Amino acid sequence: MHSTNQIIRFVLIMTSLVALVLSLMYTGLKGTHELNEAIYAKKAILAAVQNKLGIDASSLPVEEVQEIFDSSIKQEVYDMKGNLLTPAQVEASGYKGGLAENVDINKEAKKPESERILPMYKFKDGDNEFTILSVQGKGLWDVIWGNIALEKDMKTIAGVDFDHKGETPGLGAEIKDNKAWKKQFVGKSIYDAAGNFTGVAVIKGGAKEPTWQVDGISGATITADGVGEMLKRGLNYYGPVLDKMKKS
Amino acid sequence: MAQAQVAAKQSSIGFGKAERKLLTDPLDSNNPVTVQVLGICSALAVTTGMKNALVMAIAVVFVTMFSNMITSALRNSIPKAVRMIVQLIIIATLVTIVELTLKAVAFDSYKQLSVFIGLIITNCIVMGRLEAFAMANGPYKSMLDGIGNGVGYGIILLMVAFVRELFGKGELFGAKIIGNTPEYLLDTTTTWGLGWYANNNLMVLFPSAMFVIGAIIWAHRAWNPSLVDVS
Amino acid sequence: MGELLNIFIKSAFIENLALSYFLGMCSYLAVSKTVKTAFGLGLAVIFVLGITMPINWVINNYLLSETGLFQTDLTFLRLILFIAVIASMVQLVEMVVEKFSPSLYNSLGIFLPLITVNCAILGGSLFMVSKEYNFMESVSFGLGGGFGWFLAIIAIAAIREKIKYSQVPPALRGLGMAFMLTGLMGLAFMSLMGIDPSAF
Repeated sequence: MHSTNQIIRFVLIMTSLVALVLSLMYTGLKGTHELNEAIYAKKAILAAVQNKLGIDASSLPVEEVQEIFDSSIKQEVYDMKGNLLTPAQVEASGYKGGLAENVDINKEAKKPESERILPMYKFKDGDNEFTILSVQGKGLWDVIWGNIALEKDMKTIAGVDFDHKGETPGLGAEIKDNKAWKKQFVGKSIYDAAGNFTGVAVIKGGAKEPTWQVDGISGATITADGVGEMLKRGLNYYGPVLDKMKKS
Repeated sequence: MAQAQVAAKQSSIGFGKAERKLLTDPLDSNNPVTVQVLGICSALAVTTGMKNALVMAIAVVFVTMFSNMITSALRNSIPKAVRMIVQLIIIATLVTIVELTLKAVAFDSYKQLSVFIGLIITNCIVMGRLEAFAMANGPYKSMLDGIGNGVGYGIILLMVAFVRELFGKGELFGAKIIGNTPEYLLDTTTTWGLGWYANNNLMVLFPSAMFVIGAIIWAHRAWNPSLVDVS
Repeated sequence: MGELLNIFIKSAFIENLALSYFLGMCSYLAVSKTVKTAFGLGLAVIFVLGITMPINWVINNYLLSETGLFQTDLTFLRLILFIAVIASMVQLVEMVVEKFSPSLYNSLGIFLPLITVNCAILGGSLFMVSKEYNFMESVSFGLGGGFGWFLAIIAIAAIREKIKYSQVPPALRGLGMAFMLTGLMGLAFMSLMGIDPSAF
């Protein structure tokens, strides 16, 4: 039989041992974790232009991802009115580092619309020139987000990549997993023939306007509609910036 | 005297018939999933692809092995009143170690498995083996029992994932095996040898794991009739 | 208030812990042979989920988070603390129920130890963290999730009682059939996915 004292001693020794082991491990691996986290986000950005560049973003080694980011990508952050923000201003919004890659698009979505900040990645490597924008919206279960690459003309989509928090595998999760579906977006224009902003509409039962509409996903109407809504609203946020860039 | 000798023989570290039985029994007649009905939750959620299933299986073998070993080594000093919590803390520590390691070395799998790594704690295989075996046997034997059960569980996991990934996505470990490539939907000229197979999306959905495990149990019991439920 | 009801309905029917996420399957399959025992276990799950969810919320937000008591990111201790809370809560509930209501203890008591290793409880807490609910929402999520699990286990128990009289192939009898039935129920529950709970 164990006395209360013995029990307490046993529990205390055990908890301190466990806490020690885990904290050591956590602090030891923290650097790797943060690096992995950052690389994961960077790969998602590169995934939007992977078809144009002929690479597979998800299987790129870490050094190569860093290399592409260092040599060919310029990161900028804008406010909702289209003004370029300095790193200090971005840090003031709560993102250490002050770069576009530090901005958490899901955190931004919780702020009032006028206070949000918009990350932008300008890719330039020889003839390849893209502008990658980040958007966020709602799927069926939870949030969805994505990176959209625009061509030099600032209206034609060069590639997209979507991700989600908890969509059903085989249905809503197809927005991430189905490469053919994502390929549909390539070459679509986010403006209609008259030059009005339209985003890209996702149409259940088949697209009718080939320039700015794509097919939905059967069995995942709500998630696919969410993607359309996200593109329309999210890309519209960038409207002021895009207008300025087109003028200059 | 003779008994003591036998006991001494059993407790020594060796690898005889009894030890082999500890390893092989959980693979068939005492399989944790199909016979003991333990650890179903994670078996269902992570089996959409072989890669996730393999990572999960390795994680579970690691946790069952070490939790069995540690608990068995401590079995005489764990106070009875707090036994359950102590066991859970041992398991939770091991699972956290697995989680931190995965986050460092296999970040993609870590992202995809998300909460289901944490749920290894409540994977009843781990707790069940601690109660049923490790609290009554020595560390070496407990370790073997842990490995056996972890592997028995992993095999079922991989079998389910094999069926689901092959027929649901036409892929194994992410490599195309049967059916058309996704490009076919946009460009019907890009076809190849096994293009006649259309993916069965049901296999990607959660409930299909239930059907596959049900079918495995059916086949297992038809092959080994001593396991048939008489009630 | 509407938001809370919304979460309750969503967690009970649409994101059912048992039939949409397949959590708590071990006890779900083991204790669903008769409706009577299923009822007891189901009640116990509602009870424990309803209690542990808010406690774990407080721990997660005031102890472990970077803005909490220690001002450091302690999330790597989350699993250990959550499971410790669940295990100790279950034991506490067991003792309290035994002392004050022996009749309730007789019907619930044997199920309480089973609940610690029910993944629906820990899974519920982990989902609560990933969905970033606030305090009241997590209470609603806990109760709703528990209620959904309760409904699911009662339903499967009722079907299993009936199916005993059917001509099932011997090797499929019992466990194998229970898996098939749960799969079918899961498919049926998937049809609730498109419902917009804010319409209620």
